[in-house]
This record gives sequence, C-alpha cells and structure tokens, in this order.
Amino acid sequence: MEFFKKTLDPIIALSAIAVLDIFMFLIMGAWTVGGGETMMTGLIAKAAIGDELERLPFWNIVFPVHGDYWKIYISLGMLFGAFVGAVLSKEFYWRVPRHLSEWVLITLGGLLMGFGIRLAYICNVSTFFGLMPEMNMGGYLAMSGILAGAWVGSLIYKKLLEAE
Amino acid sequence: MSPVAECFVAFLFGSVAGLLMQRSRFCNTAALRDAIMFKTYRNTKAMLAAMMILTLGFTGFMSLGAGHPLQFDVGLNTFAGLFLFGIGMVFAGACTVSTWVKTGEGNLGALWALIFTFVGMFLFSLVWSASWWPPAPQTMTGQINAPALQLGFANAQTLQQKFGVPAIVFGLVQFAVLFGLYRAILKRERAHHAEHVKHQQEHAKGKPVETAVQNA
Repeated sequence: MEFFKKTLDPIIALSAIAVLDIFMFLIMGAWTVGGGETMMTGLIAKAAIGDELERLPFWNIVFPVHGDYWKIYISLGMLFGAFVGAVLSKEFYWRVPRHLSEWVLITLGGLLMGFGIRLAYICNVSTFFGLMPEMNMGGYLAMSGILAGAWVGSLIYKKLLEAE
Repeated sequence: MSPVAECFVAFLFGSVAGLLMQRSRFCNTAALRDAIMFKTYRNTKAMLAAMMILTLGFTGFMSLGAGHPLQFDVGLNTFAGLFLFGIGMVFAGACTVSTWVKTGEGNLGALWALIFTFVGMFLFSLVWSASWWPPAPQTMTGQINAPALQLGFANAQTLQQKFGVPAIVFGLVQFAVLFGLYRAILKRERAHHAEHVKHQQEHAKGKPVETAVQNA
C-alpha cells in the first residue's frame, strides 16, 4: 500500500488531525496530552503503594485516580497507531541511545517535561492545538514559555554538542 | 456521552493521530527546535497549518456557543511550567506526543523519556501537596488572584461576551497573523533555495554566476 511506502507530507497529516480535533472539541474537548499521563502516573503509584497515595492531597483534590479518564486513551491510541504504522511500513526496529550522555539528557528532559506539565496544568499539545486556537490567554503565556524554554534548551544543547 | 464511549472515541482519535504522525515524521519538538537551531521549517509549517484550521474551527463553533473549551485559570505557573517543558523537550529530543509515537516505533530512549515524565509528574505531586500552588481547579475563580500569581481566565468566548463581537472575528485576526507567519517562512525558504541554486551554479562552472551571464 502506497501510504506505508512513502513519507506523508506533515502539512497534510496535521491538517487531517486538526479536522478530527475539531470533532473532538465538539463532543468532548480538544486534543490534549499530559492529563492522561498524570492519571497513568496516579494509577501506577496506586498499584505500587495502594491507599497510601491518598495521603498526598494532590491525588485527592487535583487528580483523583480513576481508570476511565478519556485522556489516557488518546495517549494509548497514539502508541497503538504509531506501532501499526511502523510495523506496516517496516520501520519498526529497536533503537537504543548509544552514549551515556544521551541517557542523562533524556532522563533530565523527561523529568523537566513531567514537572513542567503539571506545574502549568497543560503541555505543548494543549498549547498549540487547544488553548491557542481557543484564543485562551493561557495559550499565549504557554507559547511564550515554551519558546523561551526551547531557545534556552537549544543553547545548552548546542554547547554540549560543541563540547563533545 | 458515557465514559466508555468517551474512552473509545479518544482511543480512535489517538490511533489515527499516532498513525499520521508516524507516517509524516511530524514532531512538535522539531517544529520549535529546528526553527531555532537549524533554520529549517518542515514541521513548523505543518504546526502553523493545523493552528490556522483549528483557530477557524474552534472560534467558529465558540461563536455559536458550541464545543468544550478548556477552562482553568492561568498565571505565572503557565509560563514557568512550559518554560521547563521547553528545555526538557529539547534535552529529551521529543515532546509528550513524540515520546509515544517514537516508543511505538521501538525507540527505547523515547520510552525512557516517558517513564521519567511520569516520575517528574509524581515529584510535582509531592511538591504540590506541600505548597498547594498553583491553586487547585476547584478553587479557581476566573478572576485575577494576585496572591496566587493568577491572571484568571479569558478566551475567544469571553471576548465575545465582553465586546459583543462574535468569537470568529477574533479568530480571523489570529488566523491572519498565523498566515502571515506561514508566508514569511515560505518567503525565507524560497530565498534560501534561490541562494543555494546560485551557489551550485557557481560551484559547477568554477566562476561567479554574474561573470558567466556577462560572457554569454
């Protein structure tokens, strides 16, 4: 099938996703990633430490843990869709970062992303594909933040590349 | 809609989005990082195209009172959180979306980033449980809350209510700005391409193009 042989133009791909996102907006809410991951974190923590988790007010007040939170399934769907796409296009193979420095950067990057998402209550998807198109004031604040962060991150990353 | 139906629709949307992103190699991180570091705009243009469509769609339906816009107060935490996120996504080489997509392709680095995103979220839950900041959604008022460094809530719908102008009008203004940005990128790419062709011609002939034109 031609679809799985050639790389799709990202403008076509994102335009199609945008149209679907408008349908989602009408029935449930715009595409968002971050809330689902937080709920997964809560579910994993609850499985590990049980009711002890409820001693932390965050998990009682901000994110009471329950498995039927629809945002979880957007993320699981993305994993599934990408897996199917990779397998059918014969692009699935195990990729492992080779250098210790990559692992350290990825670890730090993951921690900053997780902490940042919860501090802001939103992630980059909600910023660009949710809040900004809704013209929410938070979208402009978030965009300023992410651009400044990406710029600082890129500067540090460049320095690290030059040092290697 | 029942919670099960919502989960099903969400899974369907996620699957299509994941498939399209995998096939197009779209990455939100690249949309920002590549524009800043390498002055290349493949992903940036796609992001802008989606934002233009969404702006018209969302504000159009918001004019009619339809849709489910996100509703929560924003403030310093919004800027600070996304600032940290911006640094993190460049370090990790992926954002929350591309970590899932790359994990689906067998990228263990992306899976590692995802695991530590969860750890970062849990660490924040500890910090929040001690500080109670930013305010919990239940205590948000939609108004400025200076002690909590919150600016309140405003979107195209609140603008419509305040000024009596349909939300789509504000959406059209934002659309024009995004379209201007998109055109500026296209113009820059064309200029870059013309320069590249000129250099190639100079290199092939071994002398400057202007001289070759004069000799002809």
